[in-house]
Amino acid sequence: MSPSTGVVLRGTALRKSYRLEELTVEALRGVSLDVSAGEYVAIVGPSGCGKSTLLQLIGGIDTPTAGSVELLGTRLESLSDRDLTRLRLTRLGFVFQRFHLLPVLTARENVELPMAEAGMPAAERRARARELLAYVGLAAREGHRATQLSGGEMQRVAIARALANRPVLLLADEPTGELDAATGREVMALFRRLNAEGTTLVVVTHDEHLAAEAGRVVHMLDGRITDDVRSVGAA
Amino acid sequence: MTGWRLALRGLRRRPLRSALSLAGIAVASAMLLDMVMLSGGLDRSFEQLLLVRGYQVRITPKGTLPFDAEATIGRGSALMAALRAEPMVASAAPVLGAALHARAGVPRGGGDPLVTVVGYGVEPAAQAIYEVERGTDLAPGDSLGLLVSAPAAGRLGLAVGDTVAVAGRLDAQLAAAAAERRFVVRGLARFLYDSRGQPSVATLLPVMQSLAGPAYADRLSLVLVRAAPGADPERLTGRLRALVPSVETNSVADLVVQFRQRMLYFRQLSYILGTVSLVVTVLLIATLLTITVSERLGEIATLRAIGVGRRTVVLQVLAEGAVLTVLGGALGVALGLATARYLDAILTGFPGLPAAFSFFVPRAGALLQAGAVLLVTGMLAGLYPAWLAARAPIAATLRAEAT
Repeated sequence: MSPSTGVVLRGTALRKSYRLEELTVEALRGVSLDVSAGEYVAIVGPSGCGKSTLLQLIGGIDTPTAGSVELLGTRLESLSDRDLTRLRLTRLGFVFQRFHLLPVLTARENVELPMAEAGMPAAERRARARELLAYVGLAAREGHRATQLSGGEMQRVAIARALANRPVLLLADEPTGELDAATGREVMALFRRLNAEGTTLVVVTHDEHLAAEAGRVVHMLDGRITDDVRSVGAA
Repeated sequence: MTGWRLALRGLRRRPLRSALSLAGIAVASAMLLDMVMLSGGLDRSFEQLLLVRGYQVRITPKGTLPFDAEATIGRGSALMAALRAEPMVASAAPVLGAALHARAGVPRGGGDPLVTVVGYGVEPAAQAIYEVERGTDLAPGDSLGLLVSAPAAGRLGLAVGDTVAVAGRLDAQLAAAAAERRFVVRGLARFLYDSRGQPSVATLLPVMQSLAGPAYADRLSLVLVRAAPGADPERLTGRLRALVPSVETNSVADLVVQFRQRMLYFRQLSYILGTVSLVVTVLLIATLLTITVSERLGEIATLRAIGVGRRTVVLQVLAEGAVLTVLGGALGVALGLATARYLDAILTGFPGLPAAFSFFVPRAGALLQAGAVLLVTGMLAGLYPAWLAARAPIAATLRAEAT
């Protein structure tokens, strides 16, 4: 965390264009966004407005055509692929719409995966995985394969996996997109709890209810931020 | 969770596909193993067969190999005397081989009345072509004694102690034996160089020379020589070549070289088929892993997104290739050994080939060699799919997954 400003993430003048056959698609047209420690930011907007692209850029899984991203003062563009991968592993947590758990692994093993990649000793990561599964309410399901879990349970395991290496920033792309209303509410409650306990969150969503949970809502349209609304009392 | 365990579990995602792939790899591995056994087995089996009684040198008529032709060596007794006088020679075993005709007095068990057999004349004290399995060996001076092979005994309905008439030549006009002698079966013997089902008999060398007719008087088909302790067989071979230049003298090593040249096509065939099986294995594994990686691109992109390194992804795919290879290879060893036995039974049934000869010789070295080649091949086959997995564009794949 940048000690002077409290800014965890800073995206500056981000542009991203894709070649789509003969056409060049401008997904982002100069977006700047700062996220401070402890914030809960929801990025909303219609399909194709660039919100997922923005999340991928600030998460270091794609590179901007122009502009820069800084995470805790480190410019992501200056990092090698190896260092960027390491940064994603140790500093960021990702939650995706389709969970993408490894189906051949149990819930606990899925949560252990990023910790194993980070080189954490087996006993330590097992204990932490159990602790995280208990946190998301799935202690009793630790030995179940991913394929034996419901959609809501899978997403909660994915959240536990995202928290495994104690990230400074949790990024979620349509985390309730594949869930029914009831299980979506469970995930929303989990995010609210995480934020209340100090986790910084950036969530891309279509879900108005989920966006309403956030202390700050960033509206996007045609690759630009059109509005950036902070609730009263938000960080 | 180690990469190997993860790879093993990965095979369970599509059990039918994995089972079919393993079956394919097992068949290709079995073929590879058989070809490795064939390429080295022929020489080894031939050498073992020639050395089974410890005789390292063969003397045959000029320009022939043992029993390669009906040619014989003249002045056999002089040759034997010269050989036995040579200090480097521990033992010399003369053999005369010729066709004979045997007739049991009263055929038992439906035996044939007249059977053409291969007759061997030997000196029982120094012989290297049979092992007595039942009854007794011929004794020196036992001009009535006869050893018979199991096929001869079966066809003539003979047992130890039975009497049998043996003739050297048939008179074509009278359809009767010109010179017939009666023998008593002393024992049943396994003739080491006989082909499968070959009816053979053995008697004393002078008796055989007499039976075969005047043209065989004092003649030999072959002499087997054992070097004296400490004597080098190759040096002995050179010495005998100089001593008796009128005959062909070969050490077992020489014969193996000649055999190898004659069997070159077998080796070439085994190399070609072995290579084909390796290529098939590579294609099978590469195809399966490429399909698997393509199906799991979303999962791989997610792993990369959450910070799993390219190295881990590559190792994971290579581990899956190695696991497939190891499991398929293990099945292939069992299948390869079984098919080798079956094929060996067919090939050694060819006329003229010693039944004791083996085309496929399982050796630990060959198994290890085939296993190592297969493992490396399996891992190499995973390189392309591993590269695909490692290079998968994370953002584009996740975007495609989301739509």
